[in-house]
Amino acid sequence: MSRTSVLQNVAIQGRFGADKGVPGVVLSVLHPMSIVMVIARKGKAKALSEALATLKKVDVQWAGADQFYVQGEGLEDGALYSDLKKRLAGIASVSDQSHGRVVIRVAGSKARGLLDKGTPVDLHASEFPVGKSALTQMAHVSVHLTRTGADEFTLSVFRGFSESFWEWLTSQAAEFGYQVT
Amino acid sequence: MTGFRLSSGGLIDRSTTLNFKFDGKSFNGHQGDNLASALIANGVNLMGRSFKYHRPRGVISAGASEPNALVELREGGRKEANTRATMVELYEGLVAKSQNRWPSLNFDIGAVNSLASSIFVAGFYYKTFMWPKSFWEKIYEPLIRKAAGLGTASREADPDLYEKSYAHCDLLVVGSGPAGLMAALTAARSGARVILADEGSRLGGSLLFENEEIAGQSGFEWSQAVIAELASMPNVTLMPRTTIFGWFDGNIFGALERVNDHVAVPAPFEPRQRYWRIQAKRAVLAAGAEERPLVFGGNDVPGVMVASAMRHYANRYAAAAGKSVTIFTNNDSALRTAADLKAHGVHVEAIIDTRKGRKICNVIGKRGVKFVDLENGDIIPCEAVAMSGGWSPIVNLMCQRGAKPIWNESIAAFTPPDVGAEFKAIGSAAGHMLLSECLADGARAGTVKGKTPATPKCRDEAFAITPFWWVKESTGKAFIDYQNDATAKDLPLAAREGYGHVELAKRYTTTGMATDQGKLGNVNAIAILAEASGKTIAEMGTTTFRPFYTPVSFGAFAGPFTGHHFQPVRKTPLHDWATEQGAVFVETGLWMRSSWFPREGEDWLASASREVKATREGVGLCDVSTLGKIDIQGKDAGAFLDRLYCNTFSTLSIGKARYGLMLREDGIVFDDGTTSRLAEDHYLMTTTTANAARVMSHIEFCHQALWPELDVQYVSVTEQWAQMAIAGPKSRATLQKIVDGLTLNDETAPYLAAKDITVLGGITARLFRISFSGEHAYELAVPADYGNAVARAIMQAGHEFGIVPYGVEALSIMRIEKGHVAGGELNGTTTAADLGLGKMMSSKKDYIGRMMATREGLIDPQRQCVVGIKPVDRAMKIRSGGHLLKQGDAPSMAADQGYICSVAFSPMLNMWLGLALLSNGRARHGEIVKVFDGLRGHHYLAEICDPVHFDPENRRLHV
Repeated sequence: MSRTSVLQNVAIQGRFGADKGVPGVVLSVLHPMSIVMVIARKGKAKALSEALATLKKVDVQWAGADQFYVQGEGLEDGALYSDLKKRLAGIASVSDQSHGRVVIRVAGSKARGLLDKGTPVDLHASEFPVGKSALTQMAHVSVHLTRTGADEFTLSVFRGFSESFWEWLTSQAAEFGYQVT
Repeated sequence: MTGFRLSSGGLIDRSTTLNFKFDGKSFNGHQGDNLASALIANGVNLMGRSFKYHRPRGVISAGASEPNALVELREGGRKEANTRATMVELYEGLVAKSQNRWPSLNFDIGAVNSLASSIFVAGFYYKTFMWPKSFWEKIYEPLIRKAAGLGTASREADPDLYEKSYAHCDLLVVGSGPAGLMAALTAARSGARVILADEGSRLGGSLLFENEEIAGQSGFEWSQAVIAELASMPNVTLMPRTTIFGWFDGNIFGALERVNDHVAVPAPFEPRQRYWRIQAKRAVLAAGAEERPLVFGGNDVPGVMVASAMRHYANRYAAAAGKSVTIFTNNDSALRTAADLKAHGVHVEAIIDTRKGRKICNVIGKRGVKFVDLENGDIIPCEAVAMSGGWSPIVNLMCQRGAKPIWNESIAAFTPPDVGAEFKAIGSAAGHMLLSECLADGARAGTVKGKTPATPKCRDEAFAITPFWWVKESTGKAFIDYQNDATAKDLPLAAREGYGHVELAKRYTTTGMATDQGKLGNVNAIAILAEASGKTIAEMGTTTFRPFYTPVSFGAFAGPFTGHHFQPVRKTPLHDWATEQGAVFVETGLWMRSSWFPREGEDWLASASREVKATREGVGLCDVSTLGKIDIQGKDAGAFLDRLYCNTFSTLSIGKARYGLMLREDGIVFDDGTTSRLAEDHYLMTTTTANAARVMSHIEFCHQALWPELDVQYVSVTEQWAQMAIAGPKSRATLQKIVDGLTLNDETAPYLAAKDITVLGGITARLFRISFSGEHAYELAVPADYGNAVARAIMQAGHEFGIVPYGVEALSIMRIEKGHVAGGELNGTTTAADLGLGKMMSSKKDYIGRMMATREGLIDPQRQCVVGIKPVDRAMKIRSGGHLLKQGDAPSMAADQGYICSVAFSPMLNMWLGLALLSNGRARHGEIVKVFDGLRGHHYLAEICDPVHFDPENRRLHV
């Protein structure tokens, strides 16, 4: 049985909002994602960082003090969790969040302008470079925010809020014109 | 009809014509006009009626301080009351109406108030409407509200969009006059991130209307070159039409950007206004200074303006207030008005300077100036009067966090306090009245690193002032606060009657209230009050400055969070399945929970009753995904749980679940739920839906603050799992059909088992044999993306057993039938013993709440504890909230024995029954009590019984 994205009937592909030439924002729902939360065991923060540095084909994103999301696309469901559980035994507590969070990619020249409408985090490249993550709130929803490129970010939200969050995100993107891919 | 359009000059585009309507009459103006300038140019000098006396009023200022020219702008859902005509950019099709007049602006019945003005002095309302007390709400207040007041609100929904946004910078510059431009330019050239905000429609501040010379150019040309350079820099954000309205902790500034107030209707998808929160490392206040009116008879007659406003209209908008003007001043700056007006060909009749002993006693004229009479009896005919009582630095923002401005005698003004390096005042906002000082201040304030650059050469206009506060010879009304119709005489009256403190005088006279908050009048009021009280102005001080600098519309505060978007909606992973099953949803916090699943013709009770019966007779499926689920891991996870719960978890076997009870530090029950041990160092805690976030915070606090030494990690996994309860005698048979390679029986899945399994050919799942309904039941958790599919599969598997979906109503009925406590009983007042769970409190370990739970009051045998309750008349309906009394007692606090917490209609027992809290209740099973329902005004008899109404032997749990 294959996984069903909670936004499959919500994030409809197409071009929306104002027509100002190139869409200011391109939105994509990343699905299916493997997302695993790892939290260092007591006194094992350094060992965890070192272990995470050896991982390949996955993103490691900061998610709090000695906590990280390890994320990968296109992996077999549950495989990343089992792998990390084995690999990090005794170093970190590992919890599968692959189904609990929805990751939306926001790209384009107006990506930062769009996110500025939601987060009090300073997203200027000098303060928030590529690879940096923040735990923040947008539209009353907790968001794990990561810069993945000069004009590209990912937003990770609890699954249950994702539809509501999508409505807010797209309504705020409308003035720039946006594309859902 | 005295104002007119000058034949040349101004920053208006004479090649454009913009049509607009004021009070139903059509006019036109040009691109670059504002509503006030266009009305002046059209000869309209009557723009409103005053608040109390309904006196005819014209525009008096040229900016945000305007107290008189308030209009209702736009129509229908877009109508905006109390809008300052001085701040409204003219656009094609603009519609505005004057306010506070009936039936018309020219003939207003309320103006009779003016004839009776001797009784309408300050404090009139307080004195007159004191007695009888009951008349206040019913008669006086509605009458006063009708007679006084400004514009009226639209009752239609606003069709426009409003937004919120955040911004960050190294330097925020508030105001784009010479000081602000210089600061922004200096900082920007050194690479700093700069935001330059100005409330005006166009950047440039005073350089848009003052004749200045900077770097060999006109001030205007210089400003436009600087703005062009700033606009070309990527590190600069220019924000015209943006009012910085507040300064808050952490150097955060609130701002309102009027994105589309200058057009009739915003372009599709664009907001009308945007509400900004700006985080500035440093900020400078370059808001300039406000010119004060002088206080003399008839200083409110249409055609009387502050002098800088008069030259502002002439220079920037090519709009003259009249063909002949008298100037009245106590300082040098008004001479600029004389020079500028002369240059435009307007006749200046006289310059009346108080420093030479000259005074205007009264302006004569009703709807316009006819002439002025002087202290020596001379009369000067003229069409307009320009007045200048000196300049007040616009200190508002800087004083909003409690610092008081400082009186400076040499410029007769309050200047900003020193509030630290994060926020500095510069230019005339700092009381520096020379242009060269403004530029030098700006360069200094904009120096982020390195040496302060040299400033361009400029021409300075001398400034000197001798304070003059009130022409006492005036016979006409001399206004201090135009918007509230407070006159000079009101302030000595306030002092005489014991309201001489500046804050009391404000409330007593209403000076400084309403939409303009005394921007023009406060300093005059303070000076006159000081004199009347025998104090200096410095001793008198100012009233308190608070946000907002100018009014902000509710739409901007609400932003996009209106209607359906007021708060986020949280859906469970089984939402689609529940929708397919015809669920009626109920909001539980933010969650949408399936409440019942009605079939044709069923109401909620019929539906829930059927769901209960079908579940108890066969099998039912309920979405319980909303329960909080917290992964707790680490070497000390068991020890950690032992401290959090009053019962013990470190002894729980792997693969088993246990009901846990958490107390607050004060010994009262906090939350309950089932916690399972998945591995030696891995537990899964469940919480109630309502307390999920609170329990998580509690856990974080306990670990981080109380026991940081424990090796324990925790994270919410609520959203990872779709969780469903499968309950009823056929639950095992149903589940068996979807479970992979496992025979379910009391060996493989005994009561309270917690097991990792797979279902439907390989889907990871967790199976818990636990029951809230009292039936043989399971909870099955699968990763959320599979939730709907698995629920559908279970429905199919249970079809032969008559499976039904059941909602939270049926869930609640079943738990009340079984006497299981929930939110109604875990209500923040009950102990474990009150709930009948006293035996869960371990005596072998310490835990949160243990000490306090032993206090006398918490172990008193007379405490109210949970009992069952049912009506003596079995056909009767009972309701929650009814209070319990001994049969013979009348209702009173003293006689109160307890109350009903939860009720349900039991389809199994065919009657209403409930749970109650009753004093010493466990000893009173079988007693008949009186239930007093004060809300519905009746009482009835009920029988106290064991809380477990249904299947008291718990046989069904194990069938």
